[in-house]
Amino acid sequence: MSEFIETKGLKKIYHVGGQKVEALKGVDLEIAKGDFVVFMGHSGSGKTTLVSTIGGLTRPTEGTVLIEGNDIWKLNDKQLSHFRNRKIGFMFQSFSLLPTLNVLNNVVMPAIFSTNSERKDTEALKSKAISLLTDLDMKRKVNSFPSELSGGEQRRVAIARALINDPEIILADEPTGELDIRTEREVIDIFCQINKTYQKTLIVVSHSLTWLEKAKTIIVMKDGLIFKDLADPVEAIMEGVCKS
Amino acid sequence: MKIMKLAMFELLRRPKKNLVIASSIVIAVALLTSLSIVSNSANLAIMEIIAKTGHTLTVRPSASSAGSSGEEQKQEYKLTTSEVVLGSYIPEAAVPEIMKNYEKAIKAGWEKKGGLVSTPGIPDIVLEPATWAPRLFEKAEVDGQEVIVTGIEIRKEYFVRFWWNLTSGDWPAETDVRDVNTNIASIFTIGSDGKVGIDKAEYGVDSSGKLIAAQDKKVKAAPLKPILKGWDDAYLGGAYAKSKGLKLGDKLTINKTEFTVRGILEETNSADDYMVYIPMSTAQRLFHKEGLVSMVSVRAMCPNCPVGDAMVELNKNVTGITAVSQLDVAGVQFDFFSMLYKFLLAVVISTIAVGIFSIFNIVTGSLYARIREIGMLKAIGASRFQLFRIFIYEHFILGLAAGIGGYVLGLGMAYVLNSLLDIGAVILITTAFLWRALALGIVCSLVAIIYPAYKLSKLKITETFRTQWES
Ligand SMILES: Nc1ncnc2c1ncn2[C@@H]1O[C@H](COP(=O)(O)OP(=O)(O)O)[C@@H](O)[C@H]1O
Ligand SMILES: [Mg+2]
Repeated sequence: MSEFIETKGLKKIYHVGGQKVEALKGVDLEIAKGDFVVFMGHSGSGKTTLVSTIGGLTRPTEGTVLIEGNDIWKLNDKQLSHFRNRKIGFMFQSFSLLPTLNVLNNVVMPAIFSTNSERKDTEALKSKAISLLTDLDMKRKVNSFPSELSGGEQRRVAIARALINDPEIILADEPTGELDIRTEREVIDIFCQINKTYQKTLIVVSHSLTWLEKAKTIIVMKDGLIFKDLADPVEAIMEGVCKS
Repeated sequence: MKIMKLAMFELLRRPKKNLVIASSIVIAVALLTSLSIVSNSANLAIMEIIAKTGHTLTVRPSASSAGSSGEEQKQEYKLTTSEVVLGSYIPEAAVPEIMKNYEKAIKAGWEKKGGLVSTPGIPDIVLEPATWAPRLFEKAEVDGQEVIVTGIEIRKEYFVRFWWNLTSGDWPAETDVRDVNTNIASIFTIGSDGKVGIDKAEYGVDSSGKLIAAQDKKVKAAPLKPILKGWDDAYLGGAYAKSKGLKLGDKLTINKTEFTVRGILEETNSADDYMVYIPMSTAQRLFHKEGLVSMVSVRAMCPNCPVGDAMVELNKNVTGITAVSQLDVAGVQFDFFSMLYKFLLAVVISTIAVGIFSIFNIVTGSLYARIREIGMLKAIGASRFQLFRIFIYEHFILGLAAGIGGYVLGLGMAYVLNSLLDIGAVILITTAFLWRALALGIVCSLVAIIYPAYKLSKLKITETFRTQWES
């Protein structure tokens, strides 16, 4: 039986101005359903590339990504869009909110692209968005615009947007980047909640050690590969960090 | 939220850029709309004139005949039948020859068409003789002001110009002396003091009151008034009467001779409206142009008369005259308009091309600024086609709005263009212009977006991350 998420020999080569950059050098990985995985590692080690390959955003040069046994990179554009829309909730820093839409409309947005007709029921959708925002303590800001929100509040809206289509997997790339420690903790708590109460599989990329306290699984990446033989992952991360 | 609504929000997100795009489309649409409205109206006006005046041939002194200055010759190519030729003349005596040639050419033309070949048992087509009317133009002082005074044979004139109507007064009766017979009219003179006299030595009336030559011996002394009944009648162009406030029965002095207003013409939107008309015989005496006319209008009395043939024949056979067919004049006008139209169209099309190119640049620029957003939309599940639809909707709305704006501006410009080019057509607006304007606006807007939209909808999401690092 295959795992919930499985990658086999994932390779990704970027071509930058005639030069090859090998971001992934053959990653084999298994993630169980309901896991809470945190990827750590130095900048440029291939975390974003790996996560976006799993999420159907970046096509691998070689290897397969199996979700529930299905190779997602064999899907066509429409099927892959549908996969992203229904199976995955993204929280990437570059996927910011649309400034012209208010909070509610930003949250509801993934449903616009749903091919599923039940998603077009705007009233049900709205109340779902509001209940999500209520859970995230954002009910007061339903009609606010992104520019009126603090960094932490924007992340909450992005979380609500990631959850609106009830995806089984949440992919977050540095979801607490640029946040102060207190706000970071709040966001991490929310992720814990999502993992516990909604039973979502969480895959998070972060530099921050605060995540380590909550994560079920920690995976460290180095130079496009997973650091496997590691007694203490924290040490692996700390390796090379300037110690007194 | 629907994709359409999202597109609308997106459109409002870049008001300045979209306003620039919209305004260049507005200009292009306005130019094209005004141009097609004006040219359409002008063409309609020409058709209307032809429909109204019928196929009339105008015979004028040819350019080589004495007395005509270049400036006056320039006036020849005007569409209306009322153009004025000053200073050059055709002898009245040439009219029979002109008419003979005309009839002959018409007949020959019909025969060529097979229309006049006698077939036993089938009655021949009878051609009604054409009617003609002479005019004598002269600048004169009317109540102290210089006006074109036109001598006409009134009954002939209003038969040829069948569209003439009187707003007040009436036409002379068939038997009136003033019009019927130029021989009768030739018995009187108008002196330099404006006084009218009759040559009693040569003319008189017989016992029944009919005019006869003096050689007949049975001449009685002729009472001046009855013989010259109507010699001092004046008919006024509608615009002229209006501007001078003249009414029926009012007196007016031409040179030094007094005339009475007998009729006021309905306005025809032609030079006719500004003239003062007096009997031909009187005009010839008054201006000392006995036996001369400025032009002759010939009204064809058959539908599809080969007037063109007649024109060619006349110009070939009768010296000293130039015959111009109404349709030819219209053709010249058509050519002028279509040339102007083509020229302006070229200007407009290059405007549109430049416009589309600049829109293309702006759009490409602003779309690349949207790369991160496109990545996000794709990540949350927008398919290529759905993304493409967002761009298309945005530009559809933009083009529609610009099309409406361009149409409204174009209407205004049509009026300006009409008066600027001195076309003088009645501006005619149909909904077809609106549909065309909307279609043009939308097409312009879409043409500029389709390629970048296609490229961007195919963009790899990974590439959209990249811009984050670079910015
Ligand atoms: N779109 C891209 N084009 C070219 N090179 C890329 C692209 N994305 C990532 N890379 C390169 O691949 C390597 C791994 O990057 P990334 O997956 O973003 O690492 P991390 O998220 O761990 O910092 C880096 O050397 C980076 O420069
Ligand atoms: Mg990264």
